[in-house]
Amino acid sequence: MAPTSRTILICSGKGGVGKTTLTANLGIALARLGLRTVVLDADFGLRNLDLLLGLENRIVFTAQEVLAESCRLEQALVKHKQEPNLALLPAGNPRMLEWLKPEDMKTIAGMLEEQFDYVLIDCPAGIEDGFKNAVAAAKEAIVITTPEVSAVRDADRVIGLLNTHGVKPVQLVLNRVRPKMMANQEMLAVDDVTDILALPLLGLVLEDEQVIVSTNRGEPLTLNGSKSPAARAYGNVARRLQGEEVALIDPSKEGRGLRAKVRRLMQKKIF
Amino acid sequence: MAIDRNAGLPQQLLFPPERTSHWEDNLPEQLGQFQPGAVEIFTQQWQLTCRDLQRLQTQLQEAGFSIALVRAGNPQTVISAQALGLQVKPIGSQQSSNPEETTNEGIDQLRVHRGTLRSGDQLDTAGDLLILGDVNPGARVSAGGDVMIWGRLRGIAHAGQFGDKSARVVALQLRPLQLRIADQVARGPEDQPQAGLAEEARIERGEIVIEPADPRLSRRFLEGDPPAAPGRPLA
Repeated sequence: MAPTSRTILICSGKGGVGKTTLTANLGIALARLGLRTVVLDADFGLRNLDLLLGLENRIVFTAQEVLAESCRLEQALVKHKQEPNLALLPAGNPRMLEWLKPEDMKTIAGMLEEQFDYVLIDCPAGIEDGFKNAVAAAKEAIVITTPEVSAVRDADRVIGLLNTHGVKPVQLVLNRVRPKMMANQEMLAVDDVTDILALPLLGLVLEDEQVIVSTNRGEPLTLNGSKSPAARAYGNVARRLQGEEVALIDPSKEGRGLRAKVRRLMQKKIF
Repeated sequence: MAIDRNAGLPQQLLFPPERTSHWEDNLPEQLGQFQPGAVEIFTQQWQLTCRDLQRLQTQLQEAGFSIALVRAGNPQTVISAQALGLQVKPIGSQQSSNPEETTNEGIDQLRVHRGTLRSGDQLDTAGDLLILGDVNPGARVSAGGDVMIWGRLRGIAHAGQFGDKSARVVALQLRPLQLRIADQVARGPEDQPQAGLAEEARIERGEIVIEPADPRLSRRFLEGDPPAAPGRPLA
């Protein structure tokens, strides 16, 4: 095993909050820091990590064949075109869900840990079997959520489940933050979210249209050194994971908003 | 875990003694040797929450088993199983088969829970309940006696769940989604709490009221004098 290998589950509970986007971008960002990184798609039912990375047409074997021992791990790993430090282990076919056991995920993660510094697992939405399989392999986790009541509630549930599975540490990424709406109190404030979830904040990612563009192109934002706010945020998450101290952005300074002080005084609770 | 396969008797699922190994670990292996159908479960001294039991129940159902009876040595497990509507037989000191007795066993006890209860978590106890941590929205706590929360209550709390109208809910910040005392239900207040003031909910003249948890006030209340200022009635 690589002595410092870290297996990190990226999960949210609710769908569509940015798990796969974070996995892809964080994978690239870590690889760009010179770390051998593999992203593992644990969303067997609705896989699309390969799409985001633009690797869909390069997949020959998947985790399914590796588990069935009909191919070697090296054959199934898809190396990223521009970022050789990053590899993808594609999910198998959706029918795999029926027989996949938590032990199988452990086996795969164990194999990957021998070769890579970072194993990032893209968790499926929900807390059913797919989640249970993914969580079995994880040692630590990043919970991603958006400043919405439903996303926060689901994240809270997932954090509880991660705790019962003994996954530690669990850190938080707050995605799709709109500074202007926060300042106008039309959206949950960062404090409201961290108040409930009580997790260390690993990153704040601003709402950014570039994310949609990059997703459709299959080129994660972090890949070409984009200066867009989201790309910066993903890069910062990677550096913080590496133990570097990077200050969090202050959403109140990003938009034209009221001062944080006033905001806190007048804050209206949505919960 | 070991299996007992006496012909004619229901199959018996034995939990391992506590601390030697976790019951969930050997469950699949043990089930592999069973015929689908009803099983009796011996939980030994394990303390199982409703959630644990529910998980066990689903796992068994998926494998084609149903729970005929739960034999539990731990009072908390007995309560959890009863809450789920399962047949329970307490084992242990007095081999009592009367469920009334076991329900009462924990009633004067204080259960202390350390840590935050998150969405989906449930905590249920027969006696008083003290939580050192927050109760988040979506979580639910209930107690036969008082619910005391050294933290923020933002989920649902039920004090006096067996009908004790003198039960109270106390929290450093009392902003529940819903509050229940005995058979009364109230929605939580929506205004901002006053900082640094613990609050208390109780039944007064048939209504749930919330007011600052002033220790002097509480004592007077307990001694039978009406409190100086009546609390605000809630919706």
